[in-house]
Amino acid sequence: MRPVWAAGRPEMTEELFRDFWWLMFPVFGMVMAILGAVRNGAYQDRVIRDARENLERN
Amino acid sequence: MSFEELFRDFWWLMFPIFGMGMGLLGMISSERRSREVMNVIKSYVDQGKEVPPELLRMAQSDWEAPAQPQQRAPNSNLWSFFTFAAIAAGFSVAWWYVRGELWSISFLVVAVTFGVLAFGALVIAITSRRS
Repeated sequence: MRPVWAAGRPEMTEELFRDFWWLMFPVFGMVMAILGAVRNGAYQDRVIRDARENLERN
Repeated sequence: MSFEELFRDFWWLMFPIFGMGMGLLGMISSERRSREVMNVIKSYVDQGKEVPPELLRMAQSDWEAPAQPQQRAPNSNLWSFFTFAAIAAGFSVAWWYVRGELWSISFLVVAVTFGVLAFGALVIAITSRRS
């Protein structure tokens, strides 16, 4: 019997998860790649900003 | 066609779309940062001041974060060979078990690709040791 909250929704969760559970690993890798790119970009932006502020200060 | 059918047919598209998105974003942000770095370096030079070494490092085309040094260990190509060979062997076994299925060709493609990469890494490892 389907739970109350699932009433009216298409049946897909369990079977879909059984077939594609392994996708969580590449998806995790993609998320980590995005986080790494964001951190790397933030570091480079900070270096540029510091250099510009240092130039304006002196 | 429901979402589930669509997902089952085209789930693999997430990888090339992700690669294209990351490539596009990387290209755009890299171009913007290169322009900013060159402007700041030009300002430093115009005022006769010493350019910060981080900026000079960023101006190099193969710049990476300082925590990731560029030096490669001499055995890294040999390790690449073993890694690629292991992945190729794993996908070959996977293809062998499901070779009767129509979609087993995808396993074979990955196995052949990593086999070629393993062969290339082995050749580079051998030739770089001689030189």
